[in-house]
Amino acid sequence: MAEDINRDPLAGAGALWEALLALLPRTKEELKLDLSEKVERSVVMLLQEATELFYGGRRNECLQTSEAVLDYSWEKLNTGPWQDVDKDWRRVYAFGCLLKAACLCEASEDATTVAAALKVCDMGLLMGAAILGDILIKVAAILQTHLLSRKRPAQGPTQEQPSTKKARNEHVSIPDMKSERTVPRLHCPSLQYFRKHFLVPERPVILEGVADHWPCMKKWSLEYIQEVAGCRTVPVEVGSRYTDEEWSQTLMTVNEFISKYIVDEPRDVGYLAQHQLFDQIPELKQDISIPDYCCLGDGEEDEITINAWFGPQGTVSPLHQDPQQNLLVQVIGRKYIRLYSPQESEALYPHDTHLLHNTSQVDVEHPDLEKFPQFAEAPFLSCILSPGEVLFIPVKYWHYVRALDLSFSVSFWWS
Amino acid sequence: APSRCPARAAPSPLRATPGLCSALSAPAGGGRLELAGAAGGAAGGCRDAWASEALLVLLRAGPGPEPGAELQAWAPGSALRGEPLWVHTVEAEAEGDDGPGGKPQAGPLPLLPCARAYVSPRPPFYRPLAPGLRARRLELGAEHALLLDEAGQVFSWGGGRHGQLGHGTLEAELEPRPLEALQGLPMAEVAAGGWHSVSVSETGDVYIWGWNESGQLALPTRSLAEDGKTVAGEAAGLHEGGPDVKSTAGGEDGAPTPFIAVQPFPALLDLPRGSEAVKASCGSRHTAVVTRTGELYTWGWGKYGQLGHKDTSSWDRPCRVEYFVERQLQVRAVSCGPWNTYAYAVEQEKS
Repeated sequence: MAEDINRDPLAGAGALWEALLALLPRTKEELKLDLSEKVERSVVMLLQEATELFYGGRRNECLQTSEAVLDYSWEKLNTGPWQDVDKDWRRVYAFGCLLKAACLCEASEDATTVAAALKVCDMGLLMGAAILGDILIKVAAILQTHLLSRKRPAQGPTQEQPSTKKARNEHVSIPDMKSERTVPRLHCPSLQYFRKHFLVPERPVILEGVADHWPCMKKWSLEYIQEVAGCRTVPVEVGSRYTDEEWSQTLMTVNEFISKYIVDEPRDVGYLAQHQLFDQIPELKQDISIPDYCCLGDGEEDEITINAWFGPQGTVSPLHQDPQQNLLVQVIGRKYIRLYSPQESEALYPHDTHLLHNTSQVDVEHPDLEKFPQFAEAPFLSCILSPGEVLFIPVKYWHYVRALDLSFSVSFWWS
Repeated sequence: APSRCPARAAPSPLRATPGLCSALSAPAGGGRLELAGAAGGAAGGCRDAWASEALLVLLRAGPGPEPGAELQAWAPGSALRGEPLWVHTVEAEAEGDDGPGGKPQAGPLPLLPCARAYVSPRPPFYRPLAPGLRARRLELGAEHALLLDEAGQVFSWGGGRHGQLGHGTLEAELEPRPLEALQGLPMAEVAAGGWHSVSVSETGDVYIWGWNESGQLALPTRSLAEDGKTVAGEAAGLHEGGPDVKSTAGGEDGAPTPFIAVQPFPALLDLPRGSEAVKASCGSRHTAVVTRTGELYTWGWGKYGQLGHKDTSSWDRPCRVEYFVERQLQVRAVSCGPWNTYAYAVEQEKS
């Protein structure tokens, strides 16, 4: 294919491509990589070469070079603990994703290709770090809109009432809580009251009337979630609990997650857990707010970590503690939650490995009291958290969570 | 597929591409070093060279008349001109290319000739080894280190999140810890990949452990099965021998397929045709082994052609590199860079 020198190398065929081009810097000079010395010179050269190829309209070569950038940075992302991975390596990865997604869309605008490009964007959002003013979020939004406009009416499972279709054969066991001390409940306490009586003394409490009018409470359903997020790739935990040998993490679209692990009698337990879904899909963020009580902390608002927890009846988070304050907002379904004070830690027999030192060895609802005798005497608080309610879990407070129904919770971690 | 590199002299030791864009070769005769790829330059008086993407380390004859050598670290972009980033004088040891009493000399960089310390691509660059260790060979992975001592015992330390230390857990080790599973089995070779480890016994057995995400352990891996490329259940001669296998959830059709993501204990690997291994080397996600009869087997990640099988497939079982068989070449040595493989082969002697 001889290149007509008068032809713009980036001139493409469709409307999708035009929309993507509009997001990107116009020329390669305007695309600032802005990478520190932590990124090896040879990799910077490779990435520069990829952008040159892109702006030169040499799509196939750009794809190849971007692949190498992705593979190399992927190795860096997998070296050492995640929190120690240099942000610039994650940005390199994000650049690779951006170029690859763009190249894919230049070639074709059919649904399969666009879905693949969207998956690449999601990988960049999951593992990468922000580049060019969060461009991957904008690219993903365009790709998603394009996919949805070609898919009306919505395909895939559209169960309106999931609870009528029993996902699992075993009946759910609602705990008999008559003998249990329950978490106290308050209706809209003032910030000062909350701080004085619960935050400072580190005591759990359920806050009512705080989140019950958030849009998510009325809007969110399986159908809505599929509409807003169905084609997006998310991390899913497979296995009854993360302390099990067979437990693993994998990636799939939200539609795949719902069809495989929520409806149609799933074989295994799958849990879309601890995922910053609202950074990935800003549209969903519009349906929630940040509880005012979070600003009682020392950190900035943008340091608050917001996680989604979405899964079928029966998901279990084993008894564990987190290093930050937590406000857990329940949106869909109910969760049985047990809380043990950090003062009881010895009676909870934490694992002695570094990996699981924040996790108890005891199975809370089926404890092996021969192996863990002190557990029987450890005092605790418990509750069933229902839609609209917010549970305050103080920092390092041990908590165990089991979903009694199809459930969606949103957690806010702050310091 | 393998391509020929012009070789002016028998390279010994064979040193391969340490990084993405750079390559270097260090012929033994004359001590001349030449660089190719993203890092250029040449230097004389080199006894050994070792490189990572961020750092080029040379062992050169010392400046003065005394025996002893100088360890120099260079930035790849320097083309070996100007001043090195740092210099470390290596004490003179029982010198000479023939070691005392014919015992094998301490191995190449990153292990220093005195075997008292090694070089790391990350600071601190000069790292002493515990006095009690008599190191013969040292290999570095992305987050771990393997050491083979004079008695044939393997030690490992560093990050262990992918089982690459071989102690049966995912815990890190701060200090060299001997592999209990291999105690009593004298090893001749060790090799470290990005997140996996290989050792070859004096009797030619291959032991392998660590991360198997691309089949680099020659164990069935889910990612290849999903591409239809693994031979599930037919794990070419894998012996359990007691290691604790951690497998992921069952396969597509309900029958639990023993995919192995992480192998935290050494597993004994049988090469096809009962071949005995003599040399091993690992790239970031692939493995290469040379047999006593001069064959080369490779497996693991193949996306950049590093397996030498004329395509870019990855393999989760050992495959012979037919190129050498077809040309009646005997492979004598192999050295892997992160994404490529260098093999040294000679024409088969006519009997």
